[in-house]
Amino acid sequence: MKVLLSWLRDFVDVPGRPEEIAATMSVRGFAVEGIEHLADGDAVIDFEVTGNRPDCMSVSGMAREVATAFGLQVRRPAVSTSIRRANAAGENGPALHLASLKTVERGDIEIVIESPELCPRYAGAVAEVTIGPSPEWMQSRLRAAGVRPTSNLVDITNYVLLELGQPMHAFDHATIAGGQIRVRTARPGETLKTLDGRQRTLSPDMLVIADAEHAVAVAGVMGGADSEVTAETKTIVLESAHFNALSVRRTSKALGLKTEASMRFERGTDPRLPVTAMERACALLEMIGAGTARGTVVDRYPVRVEPNVLKLRRERITGLLGVSIPDGDVRRVLEALGFALRDADAGWDVTVPTRRVDVTREVDLIEEVARHCGFDRIPTTFPALTVPPPPLDPRIARTRQLRALATGQGFSEAVTFGFTSAPAAEAFAASEAIVPIKNPLSEAFAVLRPSLLPGLVESAGRNIRRGQRDVQLFEVGNRFTRQDGESQAIAFIWTGAGRTPHWSERTRDVDFFDAASFVSTLADTFDAAARLQPLATPPTYLVAGQAAEIIAGGKSANGGAASTVRVGHVGRLTPNVGELLGLPAEVAGYVGEVDIESLAQFRRTALKATAPPRFPAIDRDISILVDDTTPAQAVRDTVRTLALPQLVSLREFDRYAGKGIPEGKVSLSLRLTFRAADRTLTDAEVQSAMDDVLSALETKHGAAQR
Amino acid sequence: MSETASDRSTIDALREDFRARIAAASTDAAVKTLADEFLSRKSGSVTGLMKTLGTLPPDARREFGALVNALKQEIETSVDERRQALAAARPPADAVDVTLPPRTRAVGHVHPLMLVRQQVEDIFTHMGYEILEGPEVEDDFHNFEALNMPPDHPARDMQDTLYLGSPIVGGTWGAHRGSVPDAQVRAATLLRTHTSAMQIRYMKTFPPPVRIIVPGRVYRRDNLDLTHTPMFQQFEGLVVGEGVTMANLKGTFKAMLTALFGDVKIRLRPSFFPYTEPSAEVDMSCHKCAGAGCAICKQTGWLEILGSGMVHPAVFEAVGYDPDAVTGFAFGIGIERLAMLKYGVEDIRLFYENDVRFLEQFS
Ligand SMILES: [Zn+2]
Repeated sequence: MKVLLSWLRDFVDVPGRPEEIAATMSVRGFAVEGIEHLADGDAVIDFEVTGNRPDCMSVSGMAREVATAFGLQVRRPAVSTSIRRANAAGENGPALHLASLKTVERGDIEIVIESPELCPRYAGAVAEVTIGPSPEWMQSRLRAAGVRPTSNLVDITNYVLLELGQPMHAFDHATIAGGQIRVRTARPGETLKTLDGRQRTLSPDMLVIADAEHAVAVAGVMGGADSEVTAETKTIVLESAHFNALSVRRTSKALGLKTEASMRFERGTDPRLPVTAMERACALLEMIGAGTARGTVVDRYPVRVEPNVLKLRRERITGLLGVSIPDGDVRRVLEALGFALRDADAGWDVTVPTRRVDVTREVDLIEEVARHCGFDRIPTTFPALTVPPPPLDPRIARTRQLRALATGQGFSEAVTFGFTSAPAAEAFAASEAIVPIKNPLSEAFAVLRPSLLPGLVESAGRNIRRGQRDVQLFEVGNRFTRQDGESQAIAFIWTGAGRTPHWSERTRDVDFFDAASFVSTLADTFDAAARLQPLATPPTYLVAGQAAEIIAGGKSANGGAASTVRVGHVGRLTPNVGELLGLPAEVAGYVGEVDIESLAQFRRTALKATAPPRFPAIDRDISILVDDTTPAQAVRDTVRTLALPQLVSLREFDRYAGKGIPEGKVSLSLRLTFRAADRTLTDAEVQSAMDDVLSALETKHGAAQR
Repeated sequence: MSETASDRSTIDALREDFRARIAAASTDAAVKTLADEFLSRKSGSVTGLMKTLGTLPPDARREFGALVNALKQEIETSVDERRQALAAARPPADAVDVTLPPRTRAVGHVHPLMLVRQQVEDIFTHMGYEILEGPEVEDDFHNFEALNMPPDHPARDMQDTLYLGSPIVGGTWGAHRGSVPDAQVRAATLLRTHTSAMQIRYMKTFPPPVRIIVPGRVYRRDNLDLTHTPMFQQFEGLVVGEGVTMANLKGTFKAMLTALFGDVKIRLRPSFFPYTEPSAEVDMSCHKCAGAGCAICKQTGWLEILGSGMVHPAVFEAVGYDPDAVTGFAFGIGIERLAMLKYGVEDIRLFYENDVRFLEQFS
C-alpha cells in the first residue's frame, strides 16, 4: 500500500520525516518496502499490509494506525454544505468533504438485491457528468499511489478506493435497461464482456450486477464493457456496495481476474462504509467540476451487519504475553483503533468496529494491545520444563550415523529436489508407479522422484561437466511411488578413481566391487548381512552383467535361517540413462540405492557382548577349478549347506582364469577358517571337514582341486 | 736445488688442489674420478711425479721421493676416509623420501544445510525438545485446514501449493513413541508447504505438554532464483503447556540465535500467520556488522530470521486441546536462510547444485 505522506496528513497531523514514520510503523505490523522522496518534498511510503488487514488498504486506514502509534487524533471526512470547486493550486482540493445525500427507497434508479447473503448492502446514486481529465492534484496523488489517471470519473472512484478503501464503480446510466440494478447470481451460460475486452462465460455461483435484462458487471471484480463510462456519457450510476468476501474470492479465482476492487472485497470490506464512500465520491464530483450528484442515494441494506462484542480478560493478556499491561494502556490503544470498551468482570467487553474483519476472538484484541504497546515490552524468559525430555527419534539418529559412515567412505553429501522430470523418473521406475504433480512448475519438476538417483546422477554430471573427474556423492532422503508411498532411502553415485590416486601405484577406476563394498558397509551398520544377487534382467538404469539386487538378512551367530528381504539395487549406470541426466556417456558411474526402513529392521535393539574366542583358529586354503559361470555365491552356499559346526568363515581370496586354466574354467581360491569354542581343533578334525567340503564341491559343481 | 724447490712447490700445489676438491666430492664416482686424477697408474699426476724420480740424483731422489710418497699416502687415506664417510651418510636401502605426498583416503563432506540442521537439532535437544521428522506429502487437513486455513482462505495464496496427481500413502513418524495412531498419512494429496503440518499430527496424538522440533523439506511452487527454490528446508518448533507465554518464545529464540551466531540481539515485529495470534517476525541484530549496517543486512542492522507466534486458539480447537487451559508458541525457520547467513552464501541455488568444490569447504 503506497501512501503519499501529504494525503496521510489530510487525516492525521503526524510529525517527523517519512523514515521516522516508517520505523515506527514497521514495528507495529506494517513492514516498509520502500520510501520514495518526491521532487516537491512530499514522500511515498510503501507499507506492506498483511492479508488479514484489508481495513489498512487505504490512506484513512493507515492514518488510524499512525494516529494510534503516535498518540494523535484522526480527522474524519464530514458532510459539508459549502463544497467549493478546488482552485488550480489544489487549495481545498483534497479537503475531507462529504456531499449531503438524502437516503431514499427508490430514486432515479431502482435497486433489487436478489442474493442478500452475497450482497448484504448496495448503494447507488445518479449524477450528471462531464467527462474529461481530472485536476492535476488528483492525478498526481493517484500516480503517487501507483494508479494511472484516466478520466475524471474513473479517477474519482479510484481516489475513493485509495482514500477510504471502498471499491466503487460507475455505469453509463443510458446503458442500464429499465433504470434498474439487479444484484443476482449469473444465469447458466450467461456471458459478459468485461472492461478488459474479454468475453467471459459466467457460472451460476457468481454474483453479477445486472440491469433489467442482462449482466452489466461481475460483482466486486470488474465492470462490463457495454456499460462503461465513455467520453459521451452524460449521466452515471455510481455503485458503492458490500459483497460477500468468499463469493468475490471464488469468482475472481474462477475467472483468473484480480483487480484492486476484488483484492479488497475478498479480504473483507466494511459494511458501514458504502454510503460514506458515496458521499465522498459525490463531493469530489463537485469539487473537481466533473459533475453534479442528484442529491439522493438508494441504500439497500437487507442484511445488517452488527458489530461483534468480545470479552477481554486482564489475566489472559498477561497469560499470553508474559507481561502485564496497565489497564490505561489497554484502553488507550483499543479506543484509538476504534474499539469501544465497557468495564466488565475481570476485564472489558469490547465492541469491534465492523471494518476489523480480522478481530473475532479475544486473542485478536490481545494482539492489538501487544502490537501498539510494543513487542519490546515483552521480557525474555524460558518455558518451564515439566516433563522429562523424550529420547532422540531413532530416524534422526540413524540418519546421522549414515551420514558419518558415508562421509567416512569418501562420499560427500548431496541434497537434491524431491521432484524430477518424467523421463528421468521413468528411467528408475515403471511409469505406472510414478506420482505426477498436478500443477507442476515446469517439465523439469513434473513428477515426484521415485528414486534419489536421478538427482544424484544429475549432480554428478554437473560436477563432471565442470571439470571434476572423481565424484562420490550420497543423499539420504525420501522418494515416492504409487504402490509404496513415501519411503526413506540412501543412495550414492561414484565416478572416476576407485581409490585416491597416489604416485606409488597405478590409478584404478571405480568398479562394481567398490560400490558393493559401500553396500556391505551400510548393511553392517544395521547389523545386517547383505548378499548381492545377480539380475538377469536388470532395471533400465543398470547395465546387464553388472547389476545386482541387494538381499539383506539378519546376522545370526549360529547360522540359522534368518528371513531375508530385498533392500535395494547396486550396479553400473546405463550410459544412456546417464546421458539423459547430463552425465557424459563415456563416464562409468556406479550407483546404488537402499531402502533404509527395510534395512533398519535388522538392527539389534539390545547388544550383548561376548568375550573373544579363547582357542586358536585354523585356516585351510584350497584352490578349485569350476565352470567360469558358477557364481561365487553358489560355491559358498554349497559349503554353508554342510552346516559344519566349526567353520567360522569362508572367503574367496583369488579368482584366476587364463594361462594354465582350461577354457571355460576358473580357478577359485578359498580360505576356510575353523575354530571350536571349547578346545583347539586337531588336524584330523579339520581335514575331515575339508574332505566333506571338497566332496560336496565336486558333487555339486564338478569342482576339481588344483 | 731450484729444480727441487720447484718440484716441492708442485707437490704443495697438488696437495692444496686435492684437499680442496676431496671435500666437495659428494658421490663415490666423484671420489673415484678425483683419486684417479692423482693416483691413476697411467695418468695420475702424483704417479707422474713418481715417474720423474729416476731422473733425479740419489739425494734429491730420496728426499723428493719421501715427499711424493707422503702425498700419495695422504691422498689414499683421504680417499678411503671420504669413501667411508659417504657410505655412512648414504640412506639405508629401505629409506623413503618422506617429503613425497602421503597416500590419502578420501573423506567426504557433510552438506552445509545438514550441518546447520544438526547444529539446530543439538541446540534444541539440549533445551529438552523432542526432535522428529514428518512426512513430506500431506493431506489438506493437516497442512491447511487444522491450521486455521479453511478452503478458500486467502492465506492459502501465501503458500503456492504443489498438488499430487493422485493420492499416495505418506511416510510415518514417531515410531520411537510406540504405536502412534495418526502415524501415517493415509491419502496425501499435496507436498507439504511447511513443517507446521506436524504440529497437528503431534497434538492430535499426544496430550500437552508439547516441546518439539520438526526439521524437514517443504515445497512451494516457486521459481529458482537467488533466494528461492521450489524445495527448501525448515524447522518447525512447537511448545504447548500451561503458562507458556510470548516471553518464553523470545527467550527461546535468543538462546538459539546466540548459540548459532554468537551474542546477538533479537527483535520481534508484529506479523500475520493464520495459525498464530499474536504473530511475529523475529529479527536478529546483524552478526557481521553488530548492528552498524552493512551489505548483508541492507544497512538496517537487522536480519529477518524467522516467523513465529502464539498458537491460535482455532488450532488448539482443531486438535482437541482446550485453548483456555493451555497456551503455546510455534515458529518456523528456514535452514537455507540460516546457512546463507552463517556461511556467507549469497545464492541459495549453490546448496542444490552439489558441486563438490563447494561442498568440500564444509566439514
Ligand atoms: Zn550488517
